[in-house]
Amino acid sequence: MISSSLIPCGQFKTSYAKDTTIFDTPVMRAWAVGAVLLLIATPMLVNNYYLSLLIQIGFMGIAALGLNILVGYTGQISLGHAGFFGFGAFASAWLNNKFGVPVMLAIPLAAAMTTVLGLLFGIPAGRLKGLYLAIATFASQFILEDFFARADWFSGGSSGAAAAPVNLFGYELSGDKGFFYVVLFWVVVMFLIGSNLLRTRDGRAFIAVRDHYLSAEVMGINLTKYRILSFGLSSFYAGLGGALYGHYLGFVSAEGFTILMSIEFLGMIIIGGLGSVAGTLMGTTFMVLLPEVMAGSVSITKSLIGGDVGWLTEGLAYIKQASIGLAIILFLIFEPDGLVHRWRLIRSYWKLYPFSY
Amino acid sequence: MRKLLLASAALTLVTVQAAQAEDIFVGHLADLTGATASVSKPFAAGVADAMTYINAHGGVGGSKINFETVDYSYQVPRAMAQYKKWTSETKMAAIQGWGTGDTEALSSTVAKDEIPYFSASYSGHLTDPMGKTSAKPAPYNFFYGPSYTDGCRGLVDWAAADWKKKGGKGQPKFVHMGDNHPYPNAPKDACGAFAKEKGFEILNPIQYSLKPGDFKAQCLSLKESGADYAYLANTAGSTISLLKSCETVGTKAQFMGNIWGMDEAGLKASGEAANGMVWVVAAATWHDNTPGMALVREISKVSDPSGKEDRPVHYMRGVCSAYYMKEAMDIAATMPGGVTGPNIKASMYKKANWVPAGLEGVCLPSSWKADDHRGSTQVMVYQADVKGDSISMHKVHSVELPRRPEWLGW
Repeated sequence: MISSSLIPCGQFKTSYAKDTTIFDTPVMRAWAVGAVLLLIATPMLVNNYYLSLLIQIGFMGIAALGLNILVGYTGQISLGHAGFFGFGAFASAWLNNKFGVPVMLAIPLAAAMTTVLGLLFGIPAGRLKGLYLAIATFASQFILEDFFARADWFSGGSSGAAAAPVNLFGYELSGDKGFFYVVLFWVVVMFLIGSNLLRTRDGRAFIAVRDHYLSAEVMGINLTKYRILSFGLSSFYAGLGGALYGHYLGFVSAEGFTILMSIEFLGMIIIGGLGSVAGTLMGTTFMVLLPEVMAGSVSITKSLIGGDVGWLTEGLAYIKQASIGLAIILFLIFEPDGLVHRWRLIRSYWKLYPFSY
Repeated sequence: MRKLLLASAALTLVTVQAAQAEDIFVGHLADLTGATASVSKPFAAGVADAMTYINAHGGVGGSKINFETVDYSYQVPRAMAQYKKWTSETKMAAIQGWGTGDTEALSSTVAKDEIPYFSASYSGHLTDPMGKTSAKPAPYNFFYGPSYTDGCRGLVDWAAADWKKKGGKGQPKFVHMGDNHPYPNAPKDACGAFAKEKGFEILNPIQYSLKPGDFKAQCLSLKESGADYAYLANTAGSTISLLKSCETVGTKAQFMGNIWGMDEAGLKASGEAANGMVWVVAAATWHDNTPGMALVREISKVSDPSGKEDRPVHYMRGVCSAYYMKEAMDIAATMPGGVTGPNIKASMYKKANWVPAGLEGVCLPSSWKADDHRGSTQVMVYQADVKGDSISMHKVHSVELPRRPEWLGW
């Protein structure tokens, strides 16, 4: 979808391996590894507030990547992603509370449960397209939301469920510092899987379905299978992200997983870049930081004015929501390919400086 | 990238600012834009005005209360995230909280972190500090006023007397109405059990949303059920819509509102639909002439310098909530270690039949014990008189409920 501006004009690849490589150049690989190493050292460098933002970017990013596989790669649409995100959170808490499954194991198990649910709710996708599919997934959002509020045995009903902190070898990782590593581990694993998925036959099938479903079918791709599979995969990511979210907050409440959250996930991948793994992470970072920056600037304004300003405190919620809405509109108009495209432009600018062509 | 840099620069400024403050930090959660905003706004104003007033008049044991009011829109996850943010950035001495969902969700966390939590949720589940009779102990939760369950019991007590007075024949029918949400659900079972004990027939609960809407369907069910007394467990906003809808449908049930179920603004908005409704009040009302109201009127000038605004009943309870915390902090300041969570908790147990200085006749005398966090079990029932534009309310019943051990935490 988005051409990399770092590859020279023309195709000079001589092997399939080169064509499907994740990192175009060794330098890029070194940068990625370096970034992960830097993140490992992060808890020693920053305070808990920044850490909590990084953790949020982590679990939201995993879920957003799932949606990007569905929307960006397979060309389907889902307005029910928050429902699956919530199901993962409740399932993990349920497995842990009810059956005493260790949290580290409950998280992937919850993701597997969410996958089954996603495959089920994905069945209409075999037949529906576009707006019709959007409405079908919209229904799954409402079914799940209502299920959370009523299924006392599963979710604790309207009063929610407690989610235990991660316990590893008898050592409780309840603080942000410990949990950061848990999230980092899953982010690395899930993003590696996500990047590699596109190098497989299944990944190429997804893209073929997106680009032209009729041609894909002619080439022998089972449309129904791949559409539903894409839903399952995306639910796996959503469930995993949700489970991490639940154990991070320590409490899962039925109210949190609304349609607004589903739309926020869509906003993340649109801002980041549809069909881009790196873009997903950028979009999530943008969406998580934007309200915080707004809150920060409101506090600064308040301290400059001096004293508590009523309408600013009251207006903060609106400022946060409005800024997200505004960001989406501005991105759709000025940068429809997302942050990842902008990033590539910046990168090539520096690489080619001062003789860009 | 530039955006990221800007963002981190802005955030650094904020954290530096928070770290500099050496005052006593109190987190203040309020719902200014969510489902319960109509009653949270006056309560939050009471809490914030009282803390500002305290700072202007000597503070707490020499130091000032530094508080931050945050609107969490009645969404539990937002409250949880805010709590995490506060605890990671500052040394928080106490919290002035709001809703039942978030308060109950945070109760074991604040117990672990030893941060006293003064909530506007009066859920009965928060009254058992030792976990004697309930599954989940809530040692660091405090609230001023009768629990929701006790409030509902007080209403049932009034209803039983009312039924006799009216010469009602047979078994009166009682119905619980509210959203499927921790707050309306809190007194559902316990109050139903008490109503049964009092000789009521308990009907199936009727659900209506916390968000105002058209509730004619619910009113039709209410009419069909033949209920005589309907307990409304939601807040004023949605209760107004319900009263309006039921006026259209023409129900005969006597409405009984929870402590957050009605106020002066609600009466004005509902008009004659609210006539005759009863609800729980647990502090003086604005036009009362008790000695403590002089102080409340001074405090009110913090956000209303003209002094002309009439404050709803919730405002007074907000002031009480802040003042109990303030006096506990005063005691804690004299203890070794100063104003810390465990010291504030211990100070809450120091006084019996406690009324904060200057608020006599506003806050009801309350006593908290190490094994019983029911500050007060006194329930005052007020009835609304609405005739055209004239709106007033008067006290019809006052009962001191027994502190039965099995009611603790229920």
